[in-house]
Amino acid sequence: MNNLISIFILMAIVNNIVLAKFLGLCPFFGVSKKLSNALSMGLAVTLVMLIASISTTVIYNYLLVPFQVEFMRIVLYILVIASLVQMVELAIKRTNVALYNSLGIYLPLITTNCAVLGVALINSTENYTILQSTVSALGGGVGFSLVLIIMSGIREKLELSEAPESMEGLPIAFITAAMLALAFLGFRGMI
Amino acid sequence: MDMIWIILILSAIGLVSGILIFIVNRALPKESESLKKAQKVEACLPGYNCGACGYPGCFAYAQAVAKDKSLITKNPCTTVIQNEKMRSELEEVLDIKIDASAMNKKAVVRCYGVTTPLGDYNGINTCKAANNLLGGFKRCPYGCLGLGDCAKVCPQDAIEVDKARNVAVIDPDKCTGCGLCVNECPKNIISLVPADATIVYRCSYEPVKNIPGRERCDEGCIHCRKCFKSCEYDAIIWNNEKNIPEFDFSKCTLCGECVEACPHNRLIKFSELSHKEQQKLEKEKVNS
Repeated sequence: MNNLISIFILMAIVNNIVLAKFLGLCPFFGVSKKLSNALSMGLAVTLVMLIASISTTVIYNYLLVPFQVEFMRIVLYILVIASLVQMVELAIKRTNVALYNSLGIYLPLITTNCAVLGVALINSTENYTILQSTVSALGGGVGFSLVLIIMSGIREKLELSEAPESMEGLPIAFITAAMLALAFLGFRGMI
Repeated sequence: MDMIWIILILSAIGLVSGILIFIVNRALPKESESLKKAQKVEACLPGYNCGACGYPGCFAYAQAVAKDKSLITKNPCTTVIQNEKMRSELEEVLDIKIDASAMNKKAVVRCYGVTTPLGDYNGINTCKAANNLLGGFKRCPYGCLGLGDCAKVCPQDAIEVDKARNVAVIDPDKCTGCGLCVNECPKNIISLVPADATIVYRCSYEPVKNIPGRERCDEGCIHCRKCFKSCEYDAIIWNNEKNIPEFDFSKCTLCGECVEACPHNRLIKFSELSHKEQQKLEKEKVNS
């Protein structure tokens, strides 16, 4: 149990996917302009990450390791994640139209998101069991959503505040992101 | 030996996921009829997602219309009403007739904007913020502040702020009458008029409310009632309470008598409204 909690905190805060591992930077800047968009994106990424990690861990532990072909995992993971996202999108579209409308644009975007692949790869390098990788994916998703929400909150304020003309928009957002990453560096050594 | 395993595993997983997607596709309930109809309706909508109808985007509006046809008259999409092609397509899909002329509207800024400012305004660059500071920085308490809150919400880019006069000007050709700017204006000087109306009353000053330090601009309506007297069709009604003219566009015959009668040029024809058109005319004059 202790082990699971430490994995969760490690993935969510200490080794945060965006600010410590520098994965998934594209949605970090692309979708962090509005708080509501950031929330839906975080939700969608967490969902896909969870499903992808469970299935890739099963494949890694019961297919790749016994046949000693671990080096093929990147190709396989992309294949598995892409088809999984297709299935999830289909299921949501047919059963819950309201949820599909709010997630719709983001789900296909996540298919080849490196954050999802990154968590799956971390799980297999650390040799996590299925339960452990579930928790680590949950932590990764929560960490991603957390950073996206913090960033979108700051950027909504930045829109209203006055910045030097050359710094307006993306440049000031990059500087803010750098400071955020520095702040998250403070969690190093916690675990 | 390794290579064979890799090929086998890769193709096996590819095959399995293909079969899984097929099974999921078959096992799930088909898309419901209402959703299919909503998608058909959505194809006829403009797709601006402006939100003027009160629904979050065109698809939500299409879903609501697919459920209840009468919504198209109760809460019409103004862009569709003005566009003949979209309107006929929607009529075909929904199997109803849409009487466009009854719903067709456009927005008008009822201010000429020449009033002098009381001082420099360096605050937050929106009309709403400026209006909270003692009702704005212009001498006329009903004057357009010209900071362009309306221009920002306009989904058609029909509103431009005329920098010389510091007033918002709505292009009647581009305006679809969605009414977003009407709610946005803190001074309440934008109003919707029928799209075939040809005259604009360009002053919002109400003389009954005497606000110290604020007065009508030199170009404003002097409330002489000449337009009221000149109209032979009872289309102009004098509001005695507010002491301003009001227009009944259903009776207006577009004769233009009131425009001729107005001594202060506050009643003008729509064709003279577009600032760009004026510039074009001036250029032509210079050329000839």
